[in-house]
Amino acid sequence: MSDQVRVVEGATRSMKVAPVEVGRPVDEEVHEPDFPWIVIVWNDPINLMVYVTWVLQKLFGYPREKAERLMWDVHTKGKAVVSSGPKEKAESDVARLHAYGLWATMQQDR
Amino acid sequence: VARSDDPEPIRRQGDRFAVTLPDEAREALRRLAVQYRDLLREEDPSTDPGVARLFPPAHEDDLLANLEYERVAHDGLLAGRLRNIETLERTAGADSLSEDELLAWMAVANDLRLVLGTRLEVTEETTARDFAKDPEGRETFELYRFLSALVGVILEALPQP
Repeated sequence: MSDQVRVVEGATRSMKVAPVEVGRPVDEEVHEPDFPWIVIVWNDPINLMVYVTWVLQKLFGYPREKAERLMWDVHTKGKAVVSSGPKEKAESDVARLHAYGLWATMQQDR
Repeated sequence: VARSDDPEPIRRQGDRFAVTLPDEAREALRRLAVQYRDLLREEDPSTDPGVARLFPPAHEDDLLANLEYERVAHDGLLAGRLRNIETLERTAGADSLSEDELLAWMAVANDLRLVLGTRLEVTEETTARDFAKDPEGRETFELYRFLSALVGVILEALPQP
């Protein structure tokens, strides 16, 4: 559960709405059988900024402001976490991003 | 310089989209679609960097996981790209497109930008001047810019997702 919270924190860190969890056991990750996965979009010099914003809106249903903020993170910081969840969802999200030509990878959020 | 009263070459018209692109632009798109299909048939990510850019790995540094992802995802991604090409070829001469058809146009145009941009090794600062001594590269870059403009025009015409 706390890992999911951390994923949400990661995905929404620019929105300043990250929940703060109190009293999380330090060894919790050791007992967590299946970490949520995060999907990362990487910067590339080809995809247009307006196109990246549109794809994030289209695929994830994000409001324009959030999609623009994520696009801007990709552009200025080199990458952004655009979604998270179980492995199957991350795999599907990565493939959908690849279908639109975005450079996306997935990894476990440790 | 374009006249300010020129209508957008692709614009929304009710549920559909009116297309007033010149014939040369339509012909260029048709030709590119044929070349793109040939490229997908003849090359794969291991033989062509442009094709590799269309089918990127899903994991940063996990060879086995990438092989598994390729096994699961590649055929579906390829089939989708071929369907988009077929739609563009079938509708390149149309005066009116459905939203799905227009999305196929945009997908093919963006795929081709990825292939050409990868070949040209474009950066965010690349301009036509970089190809002053390379007529072939200059020609490819002009196509790349045409496709960029087309993607921009289509995004302008589409409703907010």
